[in-house]
Amino acid sequence: MVNKTLKLWARIGTCALVNIGAMSSALSESVTAEDTLALPSEQVSTLLSQNDACIAVPVEGGGEGGGEGDPMASGEGGEGGEGGEGGEGGEGGEAAFTTRVYLPPSQRFQDRQILTDFVDQLIVPNYEQLTDLTGSLADAIATFTANPTEANLEAARAVWLSARNSWEQSEAFAFGPAAFLGLDAELDDWPLNEADVIAVLESGDTLTPEYVDGLLTSQKGFHAIGYLLFGTDSDKTLSDFTTRDLEYLAAVAPVLDQTANDLLASWTEGIQGYPPFRSEFVNAGAGSEIYPTVQTAAEEITQGIIGILDELGNIKIGEAVAAQNPFLLESRFSHSSLANFKDNLISARNAYLGDYAAAGTEGEGLADFVAAVEPELDAEIRAKLDVAMADIEAIPGPLEKTLCDRAAQPEIIAAQESVLELLDLFQQRVLPLVQQ
Amino acid sequence: MTFWPQLQSVLARWRGRLGLGLSAAIAGIVLSTMLHLPGAAQSIPQAGGETTIRNRSSQAFTLPAPNLNAFWDDRHAAGDLAFEAAFVTPPANVNPGLGPLFNGSSCVACHINNGRGLPEKGQRVVRVSQLADDDSLALPPDYVYTLEAVAATANTPPVPGLGTQVQEQGVYGYAPEAIVEVTWQTQDGQYADGTSYSLRSPRLLITRRDGTPLTEAISASNRIPLPVFGLGLLEAVPEADIVALADPGDRDGDGVSGRPNYVWNVEQQADTLGRFGWKANTPTLRQQSASAYANDMGVTNPMFPVADGYQDIGDDIIDLSTIYVQTLAVPARTAVDDPQVQRGERLFADANCTACHTPQLRTGSHKIPALVNQTIHPYTDLLLHDMGSDLADNRPDFQASGSEWRTPPLWGVGLAQTVLPYSGYLHDGRARSLEEAILWHGGEAEASKETFRQMDARDRAALVQFLKSL
Repeated sequence: MVNKTLKLWARIGTCALVNIGAMSSALSESVTAEDTLALPSEQVSTLLSQNDACIAVPVEGGGEGGGEGDPMASGEGGEGGEGGEGGEGGEGGEAAFTTRVYLPPSQRFQDRQILTDFVDQLIVPNYEQLTDLTGSLADAIATFTANPTEANLEAARAVWLSARNSWEQSEAFAFGPAAFLGLDAELDDWPLNEADVIAVLESGDTLTPEYVDGLLTSQKGFHAIGYLLFGTDSDKTLSDFTTRDLEYLAAVAPVLDQTANDLLASWTEGIQGYPPFRSEFVNAGAGSEIYPTVQTAAEEITQGIIGILDELGNIKIGEAVAAQNPFLLESRFSHSSLANFKDNLISARNAYLGDYAAAGTEGEGLADFVAAVEPELDAEIRAKLDVAMADIEAIPGPLEKTLCDRAAQPEIIAAQESVLELLDLFQQRVLPLVQQ
Repeated sequence: MTFWPQLQSVLARWRGRLGLGLSAAIAGIVLSTMLHLPGAAQSIPQAGGETTIRNRSSQAFTLPAPNLNAFWDDRHAAGDLAFEAAFVTPPANVNPGLGPLFNGSSCVACHINNGRGLPEKGQRVVRVSQLADDDSLALPPDYVYTLEAVAATANTPPVPGLGTQVQEQGVYGYAPEAIVEVTWQTQDGQYADGTSYSLRSPRLLITRRDGTPLTEAISASNRIPLPVFGLGLLEAVPEADIVALADPGDRDGDGVSGRPNYVWNVEQQADTLGRFGWKANTPTLRQQSASAYANDMGVTNPMFPVADGYQDIGDDIIDLSTIYVQTLAVPARTAVDDPQVQRGERLFADANCTACHTPQLRTGSHKIPALVNQTIHPYTDLLLHDMGSDLADNRPDFQASGSEWRTPPLWGVGLAQTVLPYSGYLHDGRARSLEEAILWHGGEAEASKETFRQMDARDRAALVQFLKSL
């Protein structure tokens, strides 16, 4: 058991000091497992010394994750030296001294066209592009697994990255079927359950469609495929691929494609006996039980933008930089987390404008409503979107290598602050407008 | 990514934000002092007192209470991460600890958008117990299953192979405890005006991993997850006030009795008032959280130690997820000026629905200042009521009988379809509409249900419209 655990760790890769707690957790099993053996502490140290990930010492020294200490319950004391913290800057949380605008009834949100265009000019074109790419990915993986050459591997990796772009650009509207049918989790559950992916790879199990259907969401989806294609640190070579790797890839790629197609169909045709979600959304205030007023759908759009900006600023960037821990980066296997940041911001912009730029569609958007009732706010949002985009593009990459690089911190923090400022505008100013 | 947060850096995050939070708090105080906007706040019905927020999107249950001070706001943000963190099979760099047997891999996997879930694998929890100690259910001693870490009570003997809860999923190498299949039976009825309706109720078929079907041999209760907002307020209602609402002998003769459940409190090692869960079988939110980690996710923790003493998470994470649910905002009512809604509210009271769905309670003390002394409108008395045989699961739960249920809060019920489209009502999600939910009421609520059944279409619509305004 000890050997097996060590081998697992060797395959997963080593981790930064912040994960001592996690590691000690990992080295035991729970409840009803009978073959449990805790790893002696000196072996943990041995593993830690192999650490080649992020060697910056975490400022918070937060290694107590799995322990019994109760640092969170210790009250407000001892919050002094924040000197090296660095990661949680940004005035995003502070309410600006803005004057709340009260709209006359005639100006309140009632533009049904914005709802229709949100689906027809943004959601559907985005998901159509996604399904084109997941289809191409399944094809490219079929080609690669049948004929594992460098060229075919590079082709599969390139399509995976493109499909990721498209998916990440859709995250500002992860409401509806993506959430309630669990399709988001099927596509993008995080973190990857590496231990159970490895267990399947090392087993002799036949990867039938039924078998794959029974896997946990954390064993399939984008991150499983990314892990298999790129390795733990974007360092996998063609010779590293085992027959099982190829079998696993071939088995899960079509499932990803099917799920993406289900997601598209859930909006356009309806799946699993549910009506098309498009009809719910565009019939807000006209018979939909889910969106009883036009305003609730407009709130949903705005809340979607808020959700992705919050996730981007406070989590995807904020968490990783605060912990100085590259294991928290979303697409760390492929070293493409920075691209995810950019795509999430594009997603927020698309949702605001009501367009899907990548497909060249244009619609009436929330921006048109804001511009009509408070043009300065619209101008401010557009300007901040540009600034945030420039700030993200200025982060030196790959972030998986630069996250702990002190020289890169100012750019990372600046990008986070820009995103949080944008978040603040949507939370404090756009949302109250559409709620009236 | 879907379940982005993780736990290791929570500490760093909230510490890092404290300074920021303090300045935000000062700004907030200044702001609220400067801007006493007349008429702005007063027109919003304060469902959750000062914790009320205005939002009718699918995220309406996911927002922090607006009256948290900077310290608790930060704890809330850290708790949000804990609540969303998806666990995976150890060993892992991020969030190890899942399983080996479990129902869901994160809190939000079941409480979708912090609201209810569906009666489906991955969201529901099926509670089971033996009807009586039955040797024929015995299994080999090495049979692996989760014997839930809760107080054993004589009236719910665990089922061999399942314990008192069916874990329907397992990590690699661990088959789920059982396969649970649900079939729906329908029954037809009529309103007094001749309008017909159809109700459905579930039948469970539970097959243990070893292939033995169990349905007839055990009692089983199929329960959907409950919304998690507003719970800190309910925790802060003084026990004496809840007990004062009880009328076990129905001395006022209205047909409605109501009694408290007293349940095992792990931290106090004593029976105390139950407030949470479909049968009020849980005394505190902290115990609710710890039990969900242990039993629903297989994440071992200090409150429910396992034999080898190993803990996947510590008290810090239990505290954070507890604080998170304690400090969520309550969504404000909507459409309160609508005459139909106002009419429905009167009909709701006239039908004596308010006998159990108590419209107003007041909180007392709580360690979180934002929850203290709030006048709230949860529409629950937190008491057990006999709801009749049609709704009974025939499975006792501490002092609750097989036909007793805790009055569920109705605040936010008008957002149920927005937060989780096509979700159901009642403990097993059987009711596909609010009308159906009302029509399942029996027992102590029989008279109120009958009043509704006798209403004409206009009155029924008004009453339902009132519920949708909550």
